[in-house]
Amino acid sequence: MDLVQLQRQFVDYRTSLYHEGFLDEQFTQLQELQDENNPDFVVEVVSLFFEDSERLLNELARALEQQSIDYKRIDAHVHQLKGSSSSIGAQRVQKVCIAFRNYCEEQNVEGCLKCLQQVRHEYSLVKTKLESLFQVRLPCRREIFFLSKMVLP
Amino acid sequence: MELMKSENIVQDRQPQPQEEEEIMQQEEEEEQRFHVLAVDDSVIDRKLLEKLLKASSYQVTCVESGEKALEYLGLLHHSSPASSSSQHHHQGSSWKDVPVVVMSSENVPSRISMCLEGGAEEFMLKPLQLSDLHKIQAHLLKSLPHS
Repeated sequence: MDLVQLQRQFVDYRTSLYHEGFLDEQFTQLQELQDENNPDFVVEVVSLFFEDSERLLNELARALEQQSIDYKRIDAHVHQLKGSSSSIGAQRVQKVCIAFRNYCEEQNVEGCLKCLQQVRHEYSLVKTKLESLFQVRLPCRREIFFLSKMVLP
Repeated sequence: MELMKSENIVQDRQPQPQEEEEIMQQEEEEEQRFHVLAVDDSVIDRKLLEKLLKASSYQVTCVESGEKALEYLGLLHHSSPASSSSQHHHQGSSWKDVPVVVMSSENVPSRISMCLEGGAEEFMLKPLQLSDLHKIQAHLLKSLPHS
């Protein structure tokens, strides 16, 4: 597959993620912040998001297993997840968090458990899609330069 | 987020004449760049904030809590860890004139009013974008005391 096709594939895939609501304009902002001084910025931020989210999801599962559920603690975790997903543009995760917080406020354990399942699902979807996106990532200018050196006699 | 004027750089060896000029230039540039203390408990938001601020030509230090921020500023019964050189002194520990910008992911008008009435210069809604920082830049420059 040549470079132009690769670039097209990347752009098309990324566009579909916006259309399907997986990403919003905040993700665009992340990409705009990436430059030669920080060429892996987006991957770094997204990796931090993955790590942090997994920690939060585990905490949430544990908290909902307790005999006496601490809704304040759960709400605090969901608030954090809502914040970080919003910061990277993971729109669908953020939306589930909003519903999740409402159930926390109502102290509705069934609602909370349902939301935990939903947020886990949305998280794993966006994680898979972002991982795919980075595999087809747009080469930076330096890479294009070296590639063209290899191709030309 | 707080803005403070860049601290002086202390050199610990004798520079060559040409080097000296470069260092002086660098000092002047750093004098003009503002140093922001960014406080956020989210590691993702700290990373994002750091990049946003650096992209807007601020110097940045990130800390994860209000307590760590007070510690950094030397306001928590410890001597200021902000400077590694013993020759450097703060002008007392009065950070009163330093502008404070409050950020939140929640748009709660009563809380926002409370922050502004409490002396915050500005309130910004998360998630932040470069355009948000550009908007407040001029505002913050105006609010600094002129010596």
